[in-house]
Amino acid sequence: MSLTETQIERYSRHIILEQVGGVGQEKLLNSKVLIIGAGGLGAPAGLYLAAAGVGTIGIVDSDKVDLTNLQRQIIHHTSDVGVEKIKSAENKMRAINPDVTVQTYQTRVNAQNISDIIRKYDFVIDGTDNFPAKFLINDACYFEKIPFSHAGILRFHGQLITILPGETTCYRCIFSAPPPANAVPSCSQAGVLGVLAGVIGSLQATEAIKYLLGLGKLLTGTLLTYDALEMNFRAVKLNRNPNCPLCGEKPQITKLKDEEQIVCDLKDCQC
Amino acid sequence: MSNTEEPILHIPQSVKEDTHGYRSGVKKFLDGQTSPVAFRAYRVPMGIYEQRTVGKFMVRIRIGAGLVLPHQLERIAQLSKTYGNGIIHITTRQDIQIHEVDIENTPDVLEGLLEAGLSSRGGGGNTVRNVTACPEAGVCHEEEYDVAPYAIAAAEYLLQDRSSFNLPRKYKIVFSGCSKDCAFASIADLGFFAHMKNGVKGFSVYAAGGLGSNPVVAAKIEDFIEAEEIFEVAEAIKRLFDKYGDRSNKHKARLRYVLARVGIEEFIKLYRAERDKLKADGLPYTVPQIRDIASVYKVPEKPINVRLRLKNGDIPADDLSKVGQIAAKYGQGLIRTTQLQDLLITGVAEEDIDKVHSELKKLSVDVFGDGSSKIVACAGASTCKLGLCLSRGLAEAISEKFSHNGFSADLPETTIRISGCPNSCGHHNIAAIGFQGKAKRVNGKLMPCYDVLVGAKTVEGDAHLGKRIGTVPAKKVPELLAEAFDAGEINEEKLKNLVGQYSDFSSGQFPDDYYYDFGSNEPFSLAGRGPGECGAGVTDVIKLDIDEAKGALKSAPANSENIYKAIIAAARALMVTFGLEPKKDREIFAAFSKGLIEPGWVKSQTQQLLDDAIDWRMGDRESIEDLFSQAEDLIKRVEELYLSLDANLKFKVEPVAKETIVEEAETHNHVIDLRGVGCPLNFVKAKLELEKLETGAILGVLLDEGEPVRNVPASFVEQGQEVLEVKNSGDHFFVKVRRKK
Repeated sequence: MSLTETQIERYSRHIILEQVGGVGQEKLLNSKVLIIGAGGLGAPAGLYLAAAGVGTIGIVDSDKVDLTNLQRQIIHHTSDVGVEKIKSAENKMRAINPDVTVQTYQTRVNAQNISDIIRKYDFVIDGTDNFPAKFLINDACYFEKIPFSHAGILRFHGQLITILPGETTCYRCIFSAPPPANAVPSCSQAGVLGVLAGVIGSLQATEAIKYLLGLGKLLTGTLLTYDALEMNFRAVKLNRNPNCPLCGEKPQITKLKDEEQIVCDLKDCQC
Repeated sequence: MSNTEEPILHIPQSVKEDTHGYRSGVKKFLDGQTSPVAFRAYRVPMGIYEQRTVGKFMVRIRIGAGLVLPHQLERIAQLSKTYGNGIIHITTRQDIQIHEVDIENTPDVLEGLLEAGLSSRGGGGNTVRNVTACPEAGVCHEEEYDVAPYAIAAAEYLLQDRSSFNLPRKYKIVFSGCSKDCAFASIADLGFFAHMKNGVKGFSVYAAGGLGSNPVVAAKIEDFIEAEEIFEVAEAIKRLFDKYGDRSNKHKARLRYVLARVGIEEFIKLYRAERDKLKADGLPYTVPQIRDIASVYKVPEKPINVRLRLKNGDIPADDLSKVGQIAAKYGQGLIRTTQLQDLLITGVAEEDIDKVHSELKKLSVDVFGDGSSKIVACAGASTCKLGLCLSRGLAEAISEKFSHNGFSADLPETTIRISGCPNSCGHHNIAAIGFQGKAKRVNGKLMPCYDVLVGAKTVEGDAHLGKRIGTVPAKKVPELLAEAFDAGEINEEKLKNLVGQYSDFSSGQFPDDYYYDFGSNEPFSLAGRGPGECGAGVTDVIKLDIDEAKGALKSAPANSENIYKAIIAAARALMVTFGLEPKKDREIFAAFSKGLIEPGWVKSQTQQLLDDAIDWRMGDRESIEDLFSQAEDLIKRVEELYLSLDANLKFKVEPVAKETIVEEAETHNHVIDLRGVGCPLNFVKAKLELEKLETGAILGVLLDEGEPVRNVPASFVEQGQEVLEVKNSGDHFFVKVRRKK
């Protein structure tokens, strides 16, 4: 494949970069990234990955756009209220860059379907809003050996970590299981600063692109936390846990299962 | 009917965008943010050429298949009157030109044209030029079928792609409705001939033809393709051209040089490969609809076509809009431009023909002609920066002569074509009788002369160019023609005899008048054709001097007198490339020192040779017989420089100061021409090109002066690549980069 005249122009600022060049751009165009959750985190990640020319972007979500989403989920516009999120997200990504092929999955990931979905992708972005999903993604990516970026946001705080399954600290190395019900409030209960989603989602997109191009140092073995009020980033080093139930020396989790815990009334939670 | 107002050629969105951006391009130039060279590289592919009058510009509007609507002519006329000189010019490739526009008004002109569905994008430069067709396409009795819709669709397809405006050189595409080739497909870069096969419309295809300084007829690449395959063929040839066209040498960049380099078999193989790839990948751009024209612009039962014979292809703006009105009222509702630089009103009903004639008689110019031969002449040295002879002056003189000889309009037409220089803009190579301007040194003075060519034919499969039968003084041409015509038809035997007689320059004296070109009060001279102004014909004069120098050295005995003559002739030879014509020996030597020794084009020791020669001339030195071999070296170097001249009269060889010719070869033709490409896209493209090479390989990059040459090499260095050389080549730079990583 060689870049067309329009592509050369479109991606010129990438190509100029010593570490990217035409070779790197073609790599991006041949790459596949899956975004689980077309919400606050998925919105900036999807837009930036589309703009960057990631050739195939998958997007999983089962919800429709709600007015309460628009405060932070910038991929959806006012006119999209009531439209399926994946449709709305697909339209925006295609509008930004017609080079991108968008695969949509009108569903919620669960133990039955997740492996088949993620298997086709080079990298996964976890943009979900609940603990069961986050643990499910961690486990599924571990079994399929697909690198992914985990992130979460609440109130004024955000955190993220990149996980190369089997090689670097996984989510279960840190938290062996979801917290008890209602121990952690959800966004709909506690609120979230909209722009926080932009910051953390964009960082996830950065990690995806770095991974695809093999550039720099990935955020592995380190949980980056962000406090928007203090305007403070902290990198917390977290080693792999030999007792991790998933990737430890004596793994207890050997197949996928859906976590039972209900974080909140998911119907209202639109993180 | 409203759809008859809709432009026949639909201008693609990308071209519209580029046109809207043109105003800011001009502003940047006027504000001094863009160098004149970079601006020229931007402006020419927009169809804006500078005229010989400094600061005046010509806008060349592409008229697809030569079909233009009355309201479009009205707009052209109005723009010409508001911003130009009020005279519209029709070209031999069916374009329409507005002349003498100030640069600050060109955006208004382009935007005004666009409103009427017209564009000059690709009017010039290294672009897909106007796609032409038979002037009578759709109303011709002999055609296989109407090819105009295909010419239009092919143009619409290619114009969508911005890379169509940055090719190695121009790309001319022609559609002929039958083998008679009224559109001249047989000399195009890509020519299509309409054929029917088992009731299916299709084409035979020819490629890599062209006139210019090394004219050649196109070679057959397809016996039959179905009509819908034209897009794939045009795209494949474009890609082949883009890949293999020599961007480093404008002189050898046209598609025909690719064919000459690789041979026809390999050429077809390369073409097949591109087509196969397209078959596999699909066409990269949307295939436009092939829209029938005849059903929108209807013709009556027995249509009559009325030809407006335009002298030199010119028509006043007011007359042009009137012609549009006449065509709207009595004709097919459209007007056609022809390859003979005429206009055509087609589809007039029998009962209206008198009205049309009487309307046309009201025009301010005579469009019926006096019945004499159609004369097609390029603009010539009066307005063209490349011209050598005043071709239009000759055309005028021939017409004058003919009108006195009482030729009648009923006789078969013999077209006379005149080009002022070897660049063939007057298409002298395909005329019944063609004339090509050149300069000849006769009795020590330059005389305007013309090569005479006869016997050209443009018929599918049997096309050949005119044969040169001699060179005659310009002033002899009208007389020659008058004598060679028998009852309005050319008598070739007679013509050959006459040319034979007139070609003899050895026999004594010529009247003073012979050293003046038609319509000029100045003795004929090549002075003033400075750098940047090509003159393929100028090279003939240089050759004369070199031959004279060689002759002097060879003549026995090898005495000082002959050696001195040789040195003078050799020193004088190239001065014309600087726009100089020094007469006195001292002036010649001084000009040579300044133009060739100082910049390092010839070795510095040559100065001593010149000084010694002058000393001998002045009697300060006994003999220069010992300088024979040095004189020989000088001639050799001058010839080397001469052979390396490009179309802009620039030397392409390296200066002697740094003999890096070996390195030049190291680029192995990995050269990318990024002149006219702005920052940072030029670096982006150069970098992509370098990535294609192996580590250690060398890439040559042609860049504009100013920002591009300041930034691109620096960016390569910053990214760890090795810049071997940044060489000034006059108005641009040649940069050599080695891939290190």
